[in-house]
Amino acid sequence: MKPEKNFCPDRVLSYFRLEWLPLAFVTLSGLVYNIGLLATPWFEGRLAQCLADILGGSETAAKMAMLVPAYILVTLLVQAARFVKRFYVRRFANNIDRRMKGILYANLVRQSRAALEKEGAGELMTKAISDVDDCVEGMRKFTTEVFDTGVALVGYAVMLLVYDWRLALLSLLFTPVSYVCAAWMKKPVQRAGAAYKKAAGALSAATLDRAQNAVTYRIYGCEDARAEKYEDALNTYEKTAVRSNVWQSALPPLYLAASEAGVLFILWFGAKNVLGTGWSVWDIAAFTTFLSCFTKLVVKSSKAAKLFNAVQKAEVSWTRIKPLMKQPEQLAPLRIPEPADVTLENLSFAYGGEPVFTGLSLTARPGDIIGITGPVACGKSTLGRVFLCEAPYGGSARFGGTEFSALTPRQISATVGYLGHDPELSADTVQNNVLCGSEQEAEPYLAEAALDDEVRRMEQGLETVIGPGGTRLSGGQAQRLALARTLAHPRPVLVLDDPFSALDRNTEDIVFRNLQEYAKDKVVFLISHRLYHFPQMQQVIFMDGGKTTVGTHAELMAAEPVYRQLYESQTSQKGGGGA
Amino acid sequence: MKTDCKNGVFTAIRMAAASHPLLTAGTLLCVAASVAASLLPPLLLARVIDKLTAGLPLTFWAVVAYFGSLALEGGFSSAQESLLVLFGQKMTHALRSEMSRKLTRLPASTLAAQNPGEVAARFSGDVDTVEALFTSGIISMVADACRILSILAVIAVKNSGLAVILLLVLPLFAVFTRHVQKRMLAAQLDNRRAVAAVSGQVPETLHNIRTIRALGLEDYMERRYDRCIGAGYAAMERTNFYDALYSPVVLVLNAVVVGIVMLLSASGNPTVLTFFGMSVGTSVAVINYISRIFAPIESLGMEIQTIQSAMAGVERIDAFLGQPERTASAAQPSAGRGDVELSHVTFGYGEKEVLHDLSMTVKQGEQITLIGRTGAGKSTVFKLLLGLYPPQEGTVTIGGVPVAAITDRERRSCIGCVEQHFARVPGTVLEQITLGDPQITEEMAKRAAVLAGIDGAIQTLPQGYGTPCTDGMFSQGEWQLLSIARAVAADPAVLLLDEITANLDAETEARVLEALRRASAGRTVLSVSHRIYEDLGGRTVEIKTRTE
Repeated sequence: MKPEKNFCPDRVLSYFRLEWLPLAFVTLSGLVYNIGLLATPWFEGRLAQCLADILGGSETAAKMAMLVPAYILVTLLVQAARFVKRFYVRRFANNIDRRMKGILYANLVRQSRAALEKEGAGELMTKAISDVDDCVEGMRKFTTEVFDTGVALVGYAVMLLVYDWRLALLSLLFTPVSYVCAAWMKKPVQRAGAAYKKAAGALSAATLDRAQNAVTYRIYGCEDARAEKYEDALNTYEKTAVRSNVWQSALPPLYLAASEAGVLFILWFGAKNVLGTGWSVWDIAAFTTFLSCFTKLVVKSSKAAKLFNAVQKAEVSWTRIKPLMKQPEQLAPLRIPEPADVTLENLSFAYGGEPVFTGLSLTARPGDIIGITGPVACGKSTLGRVFLCEAPYGGSARFGGTEFSALTPRQISATVGYLGHDPELSADTVQNNVLCGSEQEAEPYLAEAALDDEVRRMEQGLETVIGPGGTRLSGGQAQRLALARTLAHPRPVLVLDDPFSALDRNTEDIVFRNLQEYAKDKVVFLISHRLYHFPQMQQVIFMDGGKTTVGTHAELMAAEPVYRQLYESQTSQKGGGGA
Repeated sequence: MKTDCKNGVFTAIRMAAASHPLLTAGTLLCVAASVAASLLPPLLLARVIDKLTAGLPLTFWAVVAYFGSLALEGGFSSAQESLLVLFGQKMTHALRSEMSRKLTRLPASTLAAQNPGEVAARFSGDVDTVEALFTSGIISMVADACRILSILAVIAVKNSGLAVILLLVLPLFAVFTRHVQKRMLAAQLDNRRAVAAVSGQVPETLHNIRTIRALGLEDYMERRYDRCIGAGYAAMERTNFYDALYSPVVLVLNAVVVGIVMLLSASGNPTVLTFFGMSVGTSVAVINYISRIFAPIESLGMEIQTIQSAMAGVERIDAFLGQPERTASAAQPSAGRGDVELSHVTFGYGEKEVLHDLSMTVKQGEQITLIGRTGAGKSTVFKLLLGLYPPQEGTVTIGGVPVAAITDRERRSCIGCVEQHFARVPGTVLEQITLGDPQITEEMAKRAAVLAGIDGAIQTLPQGYGTPCTDGMFSQGEWQLLSIARAVAADPAVLLLDEITANLDAETEARVLEALRRASAGRTVLSVSHRIYEDLGGRTVEIKTRTE
């Protein structure tokens, strides 16, 4: 969503301003509807009066024949206004919701992984996005109720006052009483609600625990103890749920009944009015209109509390969202640089105080494939991520003449194509996973990753949806799809972290050959624990215990016994599959 | 309704209802009373108006009676809501307890194969829909049907013509209502799907953030997210349309019916009047009743929907409760202590055979390491020893007792296992060690922690052993130590050590290995860890892959 001038994402009013058109519709139809609402009781009174007159002989059926169509027509008009109002209120809410979520999401995708991992920042974002729903719901209710409660209440009250102001005041005495009661009961209701929420959280944790750790409990034979614990959680849950729900559902009908106490006066004094001994002179129409107006007012006002709750909830959500509602920074267009050498000089990396590796120097030219290997946890993946500059490194790593750390994150995106060992696929089609919105053909890249045949055989081909995180693909397919995606976004430097681990030897051969062809003008760092192709690489980095050794495959075979052993153990067994 | 299946939802609920007879009866009574009470106010009002039309003053009691009827209606409706809540909670509690018991009776293979999130959904969401099925489904439906019928009956007495009109209109209206509700449901399902896609994209983005940033996909992801939200709104707009349309139609229809009745009763034609004639008071009451008859029809439609969607939940729970169970082992005269022996064991998961005719014996107190290639079945041997799976052929015994015959109570003192991943359970640090097992005293847990070398780290916590556990509280290595403490807490005779997968730095690894050495002392130990072998020594036993 494009930001507009004068739009402050952290000001609620800004959102209202942007949605002026639906709001205008809402205002207009809201006024028509709520003023029109007064017509119903008025007409109902007239109808009864008319019937009385006809039965009394002072009027003819003709009058009723006029009154009834008018009644139906007005109702139709009023309800049409209501239709328009409701429709536009929702549209207004949807637009705001979409805009708010868009802004939050835009801020989210601009965060680095390190930032998101810090102090549950990711969780905070997720929560904020779900908070938007509450917040917008509050804004919607507020907008609706300004008319439905505010305007309507005033309208009804005015009508009552016009008919008989003394009786109106008298009968409305009880409405505030029910408010006071509600306010008085609010504390225990909220306390019960909070306890219920807590118990519900505890119960769902206990449920997940029962399901998730079932095997562990089986091993230790403590399932009965856990079942007992679960039963405890159930008991607490039941108790708090009953208390909270009873508070919530049992009180409103009572409040309503309390406010309805006003009818005592209406019947008593209203009857006097009709009989001509009261404060005003009424006919039957006035009597029934007054009564039905009063009933509607009471019902409406009992819903006003809901409005306040919604607004309150919205405020709470908004205060949580607000600090995150920053104008997302404009992203510079990606300018892919020309191929250039990558030079590492005495490169090192430390995690906290612990050095992971040190003293790495080499120069790679476009077209070079550099193999990186070493035993488990030797820091291979860490070396791969150095190029992403997620954390500062020691020594120097340059692309052409520029230090990697001097590049902006956007420039790094344009320079380094990185594929981690997690394929990080999205729950979308094969095609969208490869292209990610870029306008080109997906097939060539799938072919390079040796996945084209398999995709063609899938039920919907390129349009096959691969499930969340690619769960509908095999491990090898997911890996190759991720590779195709990386290849479809060509960058002069390519870092591939163990892209072949789930492939069989044959496929690996094909993909590696394609990669050699593809990377003619690129520098490729290929991290792998499978060494079949290392003899074909221009240089190899061998990492072990923080030490790095650089050389050709032949040099390392001669100089590093561990490397030699790794290589030989893999090539001597024929057709051996990996894990 | 299918009440014939042995341990289904309906049995559980029937039992719950039977064990709270007072509550069940009270709930039903209250529902009936609330229906009856809602009929009163218009009747009393009609009297008042008739009196006034006739020019008679109201008695004090007539006024009080009218208000009293309103209060009664509120009171009963309040009591009905409360009892329904209570009833529903009793029912869900019984159902969840039954499901929890079922979980204990499932075989380990089922436990290992199930998706915990899905099981949790059975327990929470599906049980809730079953509750809704009863409280806001069946019971409310009965109440609403009664309400409609009783209003119709009153109207039939007061104005028989109107009753006929309503009988003509209401079925049409009911059809219209169902139509709208079905359309809305379809749109809601679309919307829910879209909402799930939208909310799924956020965790996905968090997970994929490195790729998104590395490939510069920010714009694309934003567009995709917006498109997803847009798809949801298209569906939501459809619900909005129906939603916005429905109430106006109801009210207009209401007005039309009122209008027709008023016209006819004012017609003056004697034949018409035999059906439609009424007093002014009655006309006011009738207007009131008409407005009350549409609401329960609308709710009726919703209730049908609730019942329909809840039936899917009922089926899922029934499927869960209907799974085959493991055979519980009876108490043994002697606990399994002594040599660990696998004799001619053949085992596989499904079609694929993993172990073929494997025999091995580990003498009491001996410490051995299983070696073999990945997938050769080292951890399968562990699973068989833990009694999680029965061997397809051959026997697995400890001290001559088949492992499957070891009861849950004895298991922990027989055999312990340091798992590959530490499974953190909710609760305090102490509970990480005891797992809530009442047989493990705090004393024993602390001794185990000392043995595992984690006691010091726990003592520095604000509440020591009573500190509630959180994710970042311990380092990877410390969790591993806690796992050791858990395994040895009941002082098992046999200890299984799985591969340590955690990425540990050299110093921590040394600590873990040291703890394992202490924990292994005096026990029969089987390990699959190369690192542990280097440290502990002992015999190695090779598990060969079954390939030609």
